[in-house]
Amino acid sequence: MKIRAERDDLADVLARAARAVTTRSPLPILQGVLCVVEGGTLTVTGTDLEVTIRTTLEVEVLEEGRTVIPARLASEAVRKLPAGAVSIHAREGEVEITGNGPRFRLRELNIDDFPQISEPDTVGGSSVDGPAFLKALSQVGIAASTDEARPILTGVLFEAESDHLRLVATDSYRLADRILPGVITDASGLVPYRALKELSRAIGDPKLTVRFGDRDAVFSSDRGTLQVRLIEGTFPNVSQLFPDSYPYQLKASRAELLEAVGRASLVAEDHIPVRFGLHTGGVELSVTRQEVGDETEHINADYNGDEMTIAFNTKYLSDGLNAIDEDDVVLETADPLKPGLLRGAESEDFRYLLMPVRL
Amino acid sequence: MFSEPILHVDMDAFYVEVERLDDASLSGVPVIVGGLGNRGVVAAASYEARQYGVFSAMPMAQARKLCRHARYVPPRMSRYSEVSESVFEIFRSVTPAVEGLSVDEAFLDVSSLRLLYQDSVEVAVEVRRRIREELDLPASVGVAPTKLVAKLASEDAKPDGLLHVPSSHLLEYLQALPVRRLWGVGEATHAMLEGFGVETIGDIAAMTPATLASRLGKAAATHLHELASGRDPRSVVSNDGAKSISVEATYESDLHDLAKIDREILAHCERLAQRLRKAGYAAKTVTLKVRLGDFTTVTRSHSLPSPIDVTRDLWSIARELYSRIDLQSQGIRLLGIGAASLVAKGTPRQMALDGSRHQALAAATDRVRDRYGSDAVGPAALADAPEPERPIS
Repeated sequence: MKIRAERDDLADVLARAARAVTTRSPLPILQGVLCVVEGGTLTVTGTDLEVTIRTTLEVEVLEEGRTVIPARLASEAVRKLPAGAVSIHAREGEVEITGNGPRFRLRELNIDDFPQISEPDTVGGSSVDGPAFLKALSQVGIAASTDEARPILTGVLFEAESDHLRLVATDSYRLADRILPGVITDASGLVPYRALKELSRAIGDPKLTVRFGDRDAVFSSDRGTLQVRLIEGTFPNVSQLFPDSYPYQLKASRAELLEAVGRASLVAEDHIPVRFGLHTGGVELSVTRQEVGDETEHINADYNGDEMTIAFNTKYLSDGLNAIDEDDVVLETADPLKPGLLRGAESEDFRYLLMPVRL
Repeated sequence: MFSEPILHVDMDAFYVEVERLDDASLSGVPVIVGGLGNRGVVAAASYEARQYGVFSAMPMAQARKLCRHARYVPPRMSRYSEVSESVFEIFRSVTPAVEGLSVDEAFLDVSSLRLLYQDSVEVAVEVRRRIREELDLPASVGVAPTKLVAKLASEDAKPDGLLHVPSSHLLEYLQALPVRRLWGVGEATHAMLEGFGVETIGDIAAMTPATLASRLGKAAATHLHELASGRDPRSVVSNDGAKSISVEATYESDLHDLAKIDREILAHCERLAQRLRKAGYAAKTVTLKVRLGDFTTVTRSHSLPSPIDVTRDLWSIARELYSRIDLQSQGIRLLGIGAASLVAKGTPRQMALDGSRHQALAAATDRVRDRYGSDAVGPAALADAPEPERPIS
């Protein structure tokens, strides 16, 4: 295999495919990326067996063929060469990477060991607006769990509904729910958020295609493909977690709340919550940590409801506030032991359900 | 005089005596508490049974050979912890400086009581009297200037006795004892010391630390020499706050059946959750311990952002931990589940979205059990299961 391409383009396809490669893999071959040259195209594949990223680049082909090269080392090597044309030449167990003088000779990995990534069992597919889709994913992704002991909660649930796509994630303490109006798909399944987090860098583009099968989800664009194994298991029945009604409503400036919670979190730590004293005229924020001190402040806001005190984890609260892209937010509550609902004042496309801290 | 401020209180044949409280027919006859299966070991033997050479940790099969006519009783750990709580309540009403060593023994530092009592022996008499009158149980107490000697003295006071070792007689008492009774002297060290011609604790004190160090290593030698010379500066450290709570069971025959293992994990979690709530704690760390047929022991633990105290939550973590263990196609001999990083009731607690139903369920089952006993209610999955093997330790 022998090709030539611009350094930056080559570094880019290698680095993006390498995003699927984990440094901790027990299988040495998974430290490598598979490079296949056919027609006029180089296809680079990186995988950890659950997430597979394929990137492609039109290159000058001097000799077709295939090789497996160490992912990080090769992409860094290409990136650090002088600007201009770079060539990769694989032969007799070695891969030579050269460009304007410097020459790397890297040991090739055994191509027979590289796993066969089965073609996804998907059908159809629908086209979505890339930036809007990625933004929606990052909005719900904040609520996904990173706790591998509860694999189901590390996923984002895709639910195709009649005239929209619904995305849901929860770590059991908070839940983020986003609908993408007008996105009509047959996408249904539970996708690991750690894979979705890579989408933007790996294949982000103005147009994305989403395809779901029984076992895999595939996201693709002109820049490549990300294929991910779906999480098996039953996602919690989310709709029953939303209270039937919220008698009380606080409407406040998102920026003011966010800043106040940021100050409170300086004093709060770990399990120490910020208390919201809700009353007509606004909200009294306070946080007390016995061995450190306290912080209090008042925010003017509209509040309709009985006076009450409800307490939240500061990180969960600021995650929710950060995910909303409106100037004013609404916090709906029922009582100090029931979940509060946070959303933008204008739209209900994004809803963030947050369980309080019991004092 | 309060120059001997340390009490070591040790309940006599505790499990046996609790069984006798609940079943008068066990009085005056040899009683052995332990797992009744093939692999059971003796958890406690009454003094009558000990006369036949039966002692704790002996395999049950051997005990049966030695004392065929004894009454054999399976352990009821939850009952023992219940009674233990009452015993410790008495300790704590005497002094806040209580260091529990297990369900049935504790150190008490009574030096703060010098204005209330003439001497620490009077306190010891009072503690024994209250345990006898309020709980109808025998306890032995050692009174001494140091922890080591107080513990040795309580052993010598048994059964149902009190031994006071005054400061003036400390060395005389201590150094006449066989070396094996010194804390930290196990089988190996004992054999080595015997090779030296060391028989009593006094013999150790008589050696130079350097000679001792040449055989035992410096750290161990210094430690033993200090203890043997009557120097034991360790103070009584009260451990009111539990650090961890766990349940475990050893099985009569290795568990292979997946459904059975699953059920045992659930049964453990149910018991653990109940004990956590009773003690007023929730756990941020869950540990699973599995001992395989070949005695390989594997533990896995997991920490959570928010503490848990209901069966369902413990269970989901325990099962996930279990799935990470490679059984190497062996069966399970011992299964244990522990809760650590305990957070006390009253600490602000992040609630879970779907948690309230499970909390309510737990509260309801706790109330039923308080009223009708611990077997009154339980998970349906366990209903038709044979009685889970009782833990032996």
